[in-house]
Amino acid sequence: MAVDYDPAIIGRVFETTDPVPVSAEAIATFCTAIGETNPIHVDAAAAQKGPWGGITAPPSFAVTFRNGQHFFQHVPRFGKQGFDAGKDVEFGAPIRPGDAITLTSHVKEVYEKTGRTGSMVFVVVRSTLTNQHGEMVAHVDHKFMSRT
Amino acid sequence: MSEVTYASVQIGDTLGPQEFYLSKDQVRAYAKATGMWVPRFTDDEAARKEGLPGMITPGNMSLAIMSKLVSDWIGASGARMIRLGTTYRQPVLPDHTLTLQGFITHKSENDRTAEMDVWVESEEGDRLVIGTATVHFPR
Amino acid sequence: MTTTLDLHSHSEASEDSRAPLEAYLNWLKLKRTERPVDGVVLTEHRQFNQEGDYRALEDKFGILVLKASEVETDYGHVLVFGVTDEMTRRFDFANVHLPAQEVIDEVARMGGVAVPCHPGRPNVGLCEHYTHKPPLENVIAVEVLNGGSRRGEDERSEELVRQFGYSAVGGSDSHLVSLIGLCATRFEGEIRTAEDLVRELKSGSYAPVDFRPRRKPVPHAVPVEVK
Repeated sequence: MAVDYDPAIIGRVFETTDPVPVSAEAIATFCTAIGETNPIHVDAAAAQKGPWGGITAPPSFAVTFRNGQHFFQHVPRFGKQGFDAGKDVEFGAPIRPGDAITLTSHVKEVYEKTGRTGSMVFVVVRSTLTNQHGEMVAHVDHKFMSRT
Repeated sequence: MSEVTYASVQIGDTLGPQEFYLSKDQVRAYAKATGMWVPRFTDDEAARKEGLPGMITPGNMSLAIMSKLVSDWIGASGARMIRLGTTYRQPVLPDHTLTLQGFITHKSENDRTAEMDVWVESEEGDRLVIGTATVHFPR
Repeated sequence: MTTTLDLHSHSEASEDSRAPLEAYLNWLKLKRTERPVDGVVLTEHRQFNQEGDYRALEDKFGILVLKASEVETDYGHVLVFGVTDEMTRRFDFANVHLPAQEVIDEVARMGGVAVPCHPGRPNVGLCEHYTHKPPLENVIAVEVLNGGSRRGEDERSEELVRQFGYSAVGGSDSHLVSLIGLCATRFEGEIRTAEDLVRELKSGSYAPVDFRPRRKPVPHAVPVEVK
């Protein structure tokens, strides 16, 4: 019983979002929420002397960017409920206040397996985050799991 | 404490264990900060209606917690996490004590990288979220 | 001479593991006293790597590496030992709804052994299927000790073994380097090849062994919400 989807979607970019601005406040709020106290993320004066010469967002800030409205039009859906099953992130340039981040996304893989909760289909979507300088900020492989 | 260096890292070295109490308010703060303000992450009653045991922690927050375990280990050494992969195995329920733990599992001389296992464990010892990370040590 | 093997492990060839085989072997070498296993069996999900040759790594670490597969059937997941070309032609290992009885019988006919794993696990284990379907025939052994089990699952597996008289094996089901070898199977005979393993599994002289450190007590001082 193979999973029914159009194999042509694999690797085809379905969306490039508008640039999302990153504010100093957004980074500060994020740090507070995860209990991050490292000066290179929270203290402008200390960060200036650090390896990046200014405040950078913690690496996990990279997964807070969203796909746009095209996501649900182009990513195949199986079953009723979707779950976030995990993410695999490769980090590039750090994210700084004032950056504008663009997400370019494609479906990387679709596969079926069975687990404790029944049959599941996994759709792996890769979003590449790019900053306003054209630098790769992160590749985020997002595993969506649907129960079928 | 001296900072970790590529040469000082040994396979079998540990990250943590760190125990911490994750409160519902912390989860709500994360949900609010990251635009994930949806009932399953903010409200027990609404989460139960979705068939969950109560409000759960967003996977992204678990990832952030694991990422912080790695960055705390890196400290001010100048090393950098270049990859983090996570699998969300079971829901992480707030208002419980969680244990964060990791082990250095591999080193690559050519890339000057160290690989590590990291996970979030429940009070019962179940590994709720598991992952691996790669840390690069520049020359 | 006895042989202790971790019969259930996933390396980076499985979609949900990133553990390189070399890191597994290095870890076992490092943890030799706590986890005294002689070898590991790679049971990659829904596939079999016919070409994989690990002799160089086996020699480097002095640890046996055998290949098998974990397939998915209408009675849950099944470890297939002694995989042959004939088997991979006969069954599509990627099919997650393989007919379990056919897998067991055909694998045996072709010279292998199919061992249902984590039977106590919901949906993907035998126990749940046995509540509403006839028990499978010709099952020799099941996995009663699995490093990935949640509370109660291995206990259910033990109950199944008592009821049906199956032999019992153990494996770590490791997806992370640091979890390899925590559960294993101790065989009375010597095992050097996949054929030896099949022979020993059929002989019935083996038992699961648990190398997991004892779990720390569950803290009680934590406020748990009352429903």
